[in-house]
Amino acid sequence: MRHGRFATGLLIFSMIALVPASTPLQIAAAQAAERTASAPSALVYFHYPVDGMRVPERFTVKIGLKEMGVAPAGVVKPFTGHHHLLIDTDMVPLDQPIPSDYNHIHLGGGQTEVVLTLPQGTHTLQLLLGDHEHVAHQPPVMSKKITIYVR
Amino acid sequence: MGRFASLCLVVLVTMAMDARIEAGAQQPAPTRNPSAAKARIYFIDLKDGATVPSKVKIRFGIENMEIAPAGVVRPNTGHHHLLIDTPLPPLDQPIPSDFNHIHFGAGQTEAEITLPAGEHTLQLLLGDHAHIPHNPPVVSDVIRIRVDAATVEKTRTPAPAGASVSLIEPADGATVGRNVKVKFGISGMDLAPAGTSKPNSGHHHLLIDTPLPALDREIPSDLNHLHFGRAQTETEITLAPGEHTLQLLLGDHEHLPHDPPVYSKVIRIRVANAAPEKAAQAAPKEGRQPSPPDAAVYFVYPTKGESIYPNSTIRFGLRNMGVAPAGIAKPNTGHHHLFIDVDTPPLDQPLPSDLNHIHFGNGQTEKKITLSPGKHTLQLVLADERHIPHDPPVISERIEVFVKNVRKRSRRR
Repeated sequence: MRHGRFATGLLIFSMIALVPASTPLQIAAAQAAERTASAPSALVYFHYPVDGMRVPERFTVKIGLKEMGVAPAGVVKPFTGHHHLLIDTDMVPLDQPIPSDYNHIHLGGGQTEVVLTLPQGTHTLQLLLGDHEHVAHQPPVMSKKITIYVR
Repeated sequence: MGRFASLCLVVLVTMAMDARIEAGAQQPAPTRNPSAAKARIYFIDLKDGATVPSKVKIRFGIENMEIAPAGVVRPNTGHHHLLIDTPLPPLDQPIPSDFNHIHFGAGQTEAEITLPAGEHTLQLLLGDHAHIPHNPPVVSDVIRIRVDAATVEKTRTPAPAGASVSLIEPADGATVGRNVKVKFGISGMDLAPAGTSKPNSGHHHLLIDTPLPALDREIPSDLNHLHFGRAQTETEITLAPGEHTLQLLLGDHEHLPHDPPVYSKVIRIRVANAAPEKAAQAAPKEGRQPSPPDAAVYFVYPTKGESIYPNSTIRFGLRNMGVAPAGIAKPNTGHHHLFIDVDTPPLDQPLPSDLNHIHFGNGQTEKKITLSPGKHTLQLVLADERHIPHDPPVISERIEVFVKNVRKRSRRR
């Protein structure tokens, strides 16, 4: 796996503080889990920002989801999941729980927006829906990887 | 002809003014100076198709010829002309000088221009000492750019002299609990809700842990910039333990700071580590679930007053809370309810479920609906696992939208 291109220390991530943190990941128990089915034509996408946009250092990422619902991590319900925001990183292996670090932001409280602070420069963002165990659905529901310019 | 001559184009020529000489004795068909072989002018760092901010610096490049100010007669020289939203002018006459034809007669090689939102074309044309294109003309490719509407500066509302805002509570340097009551004061101006354009009025914005934003555009709306668009004078916020800064900034009806801006001094507070938070958590199951302060539900699409198609996807936004399907009891979550063409139902009991009150119990955050042409109202409310709104309710503004009659779709630009 690739390291995030940016020093994690530079990346201050302020999540919606009021929602309790998602359940810690059991990375150790990360066998190839059985994957939850996604809805046909499900789509996750960025309301904001969009590909190629210039954004200030602190901005709110707003997430849209088509044909599926949002549920907090841990909730088992068909055709739901919670958002993961991948920053400056390539797509993760899809048969394992999505890592949880500065490059992989879990929105385990069911959030549909998140405030990011990124250093100036070019960054990539990508969305990936995860099921109750933070594993991508089958087929995966992921957005296009977008490039943004933080000025 | 300059089709867009009426556009408010401000040109800030970065150097001296165009020292255009009085070439009063111009002949009807003056002789054109030859250009150098392989002479070329171009935009240095602006690409065709680029999206640029409203105020943009443009740099001009030249190869195989040289720049000379207007009026200087020297072979193989010329000065730049920037053509905005206009085709090439006649090449055997002096280049016009107007909003669409900007002269850089002092020999400038860059300029800062301000363009309105939308698509524009730019082209460079070299002119000689008398502003006449060379033979053959030295001209750049036409490039198309798009100006990002979000960067357009709006006109700021004036503020009266002596107007001020201040934080009445908490005091500067205070140590407080995690739930902080913040009270705002204003003097010399009135409070008015957002959207209400009234002279000498505005509404508060609380800046948390952030410096003043750019004062020539809309104040951001996020967790660090809280809007009090209903002209509130106090709020309760929840802060993590540690040091925080608070500052007030008044915004006008469009959330734009006034001119001069009206803001308070920055105060520093310390949030103690104690966590006497259980009280809220242990709220009786029977009553309404508490919502966190500053939670908000809003329409991503459409927005207030927007014209939409009969088949439109309504997209929901939620700030400071999470989405959970109906039946899932989890603090600070809920699911969306969309009210169409109805008044707000009572908020202390389960919300009705019918064609006008749509439940999104599967945690959906968007819905395609079909509406008849005409005027409709939409409103969003978040509700807990039993479809009961939170306390205080997390409810959007009731917005009005206009559904177009698709058959006579007008093609206005």
